[in-house]
Amino acid sequence: MAVEPGWYLLLSAAVFCIGLFGVLVRRNALVFLMSIELMINAANINLVAFALVYGNITGQTFVLFLIALAAAEVAVGIGIILALNRNFESIDVTDAVTMRW
Amino acid sequence: MSDWIAIGALAVVAVVIPLSMMFISWLIRPSVPEQGKRATYESGEVPTGSSRQVKFNIQYYMVALLFVIFDIETAFIVPWTVIFDGAVEEVGFAQAFAPMAVFIGLLVVGLAWAWRNGAVEWVRSARAERQRVE
Amino acid sequence: MTEVTTLPDWTAIAPALALLGTAFVLLLADMIDPDDSNGTALTGISVTGGLVALGFALWYLLAGTGQPGASQEPTEGAIELFGDALVVDGMSLFFSVIITSVVVLVALASHEYLREHPYQAEYYSLVLLASTGMVMVTAANSFVTAFISIELVSLPSYALVASLKTNEGSVEGGLKYFLIGALSSAIFAYGIALVYVATGSLQFGAVEIAIADGVGFDSLLGLGMLMILGGIAFKIAAVPFHFWAPDAYEGAPAPISAFISSASKAAGFVLGFRVFVDVFGTATGVFDWVDAFLILSIVTMTIANFTALKQDNVKRILAYSSVAHAGYILIALAAFTGSVEGEISILGAGMAHLFVYGFMNTGAFLFIALAEYWDVGRTVEDYHGLGNRAPFACAAMTVFLFSLAGLPIGGGFFSKFYLLFATVTGGQELLGAALIINSVVSLFYYTRIVRAIWIEEPGEDLEPGEYPTGLYAAIAVAALATILLIPAFGFVIEYAEIAARMIGG
Repeated sequence: MAVEPGWYLLLSAAVFCIGLFGVLVRRNALVFLMSIELMINAANINLVAFALVYGNITGQTFVLFLIALAAAEVAVGIGIILALNRNFESIDVTDAVTMRW
Repeated sequence: MSDWIAIGALAVVAVVIPLSMMFISWLIRPSVPEQGKRATYESGEVPTGSSRQVKFNIQYYMVALLFVIFDIETAFIVPWTVIFDGAVEEVGFAQAFAPMAVFIGLLVVGLAWAWRNGAVEWVRSARAERQRVE
Repeated sequence: MTEVTTLPDWTAIAPALALLGTAFVLLLADMIDPDDSNGTALTGISVTGGLVALGFALWYLLAGTGQPGASQEPTEGAIELFGDALVVDGMSLFFSVIITSVVVLVALASHEYLREHPYQAEYYSLVLLASTGMVMVTAANSFVTAFISIELVSLPSYALVASLKTNEGSVEGGLKYFLIGALSSAIFAYGIALVYVATGSLQFGAVEIAIADGVGFDSLLGLGMLMILGGIAFKIAAVPFHFWAPDAYEGAPAPISAFISSASKAAGFVLGFRVFVDVFGTATGVFDWVDAFLILSIVTMTIANFTALKQDNVKRILAYSSVAHAGYILIALAAFTGSVEGEISILGAGMAHLFVYGFMNTGAFLFIALAEYWDVGRTVEDYHGLGNRAPFACAAMTVFLFSLAGLPIGGGFFSKFYLLFATVTGGQELLGAALIINSVVSLFYYTRIVRAIWIEEPGEDLEPGEYPTGLYAAIAVAALATILLIPAFGFVIEYAEIAARMIGG
């Protein structure tokens, strides 16, 4: 194999952490969605890389489903963000705070 | 490993050349700050409004959603077509074909529902109608 | 084996198929006339579909489908489908019964609640799709099917919580549920990927074997397990992943709060039981998930109960009570010892508690739906004197609340008693003490609602409005089930222990 599997792990961990950073720091709901996509794609990198390492296609099959689920999640998410924009006139996730504790 | 050294050298060159060019031009160019240089270029027009306020019609969202459904559907159909011949030999036509038929059938029910509920109809805005008349 | 085995194997997932089919029938029914939905017909279709699924699940459970025959070991007999991706065994059928019962109650109660809702067919269809996902979760036997089913539960739930599109609370609740849910499903997916990295497999049985053989990447496996634990803790709304729960329950339409807090929680727990006890049962050396669940359990029940004391909004009190119950049921995982007998009694007690909880918690939230239907108001003060106006519903609510608290008026007493008994015999006195103290604390806020309903004088004259038939019927059924579970509890615990034996043995 041309590249050691450890590097794939490192790459996916880096992508995951970038996504997590975006989730925790950014307040724009759309950026939040993109960060979630990054985190799911980090899982995809692991699955595809180790499907190659182990020589079975289980990981690759799961990646197909993960891609479809991520798309479905974004579709629902954008719908909710649209409703948010209509009710609160912004898509800042920290604006919707009428309920606390 | 020697392959990677060549690639690494290429990467270093690719970074160093543009950086050195920018540095040299920074050294020798005159500094003339001017309003026109910072304005957005809109083919010679004076820019109006902010570039962050571009608004799209919400109906594109519906079209995009329907597109995404069939886009993702492809991801499932392609592997199925790749193994289809082998699967027919192994389990017979019906067993290889039925799962995909059910899958697409469910999607078609969803599409038909969305169609019936007006997701693909382009609602004309009153303003667009007026502009056409004028 | 039994006579049911003469059916083809795939019919074992008939409960899920019935729910899925009903969801699509609803969409087809909506296509006849999208602008004018006939609420009664839609409720009728949903309730029928739910009853068919419940019937299948009960029939299979009682007929012994997927359970060990007389001549078999107690862990054998499960029906494996689609290359082991799904498994129908005693546990999946037991939980299918809980979930489909809640679906029937919620669909029945939604009829009047939705009288002015513009998207009724979509609402029922989403409820049924989510419950399809829940029934699939109970049968998931691979991380792939588990993840897909969990998402099939989550995505319609987000939409349902936010389904009152012009209500700020509903949209806000939906947004918070979605944001935290999307984050935790991404973490869950990454955890699954790490388990795949460590073991090279996603099927539960194969992962179990790989762990037993020893894996090369112990730390990755441990991290993956921790992330999977996070994903499950979100679904069951355990502290510290509970922040979405009060807001989502408060903002959502009340029948949906009932649905998510009862059925969705049961689905999360069934996955937790299967993944941790069955798959990671031998991996406690890699990552000590028993201790993690111990801390999670005690922290969850304590924080939730003490926060509930300070609430004024009845729906929020019940939301925190639902979080606290997640803590009680987590005892089943926290008291995991590895010894077969103790494990079965504790797991069985947890499952039986989920069964009883499914009825009493749904009933309590449906009472809130009734109060919202009458526009009574949301705080405890608004409930003053409701007992004079609707004595029957209030009596049912009293049964639900005291059963939730663990008083011997409903099945909740026995299930809590079994949990306590199992902690003591399992040598987990700390958990038992936490359970008792928290039950006493919870009695304060449950009594507060009961007092408001019966004893306090109403502040202003309440208008005696109409009495919604569907809501009343659902509340009556839930109350009847809660009370009948006292004499029938031996029956429930028997099936719960059969279910526990299949994964724990």
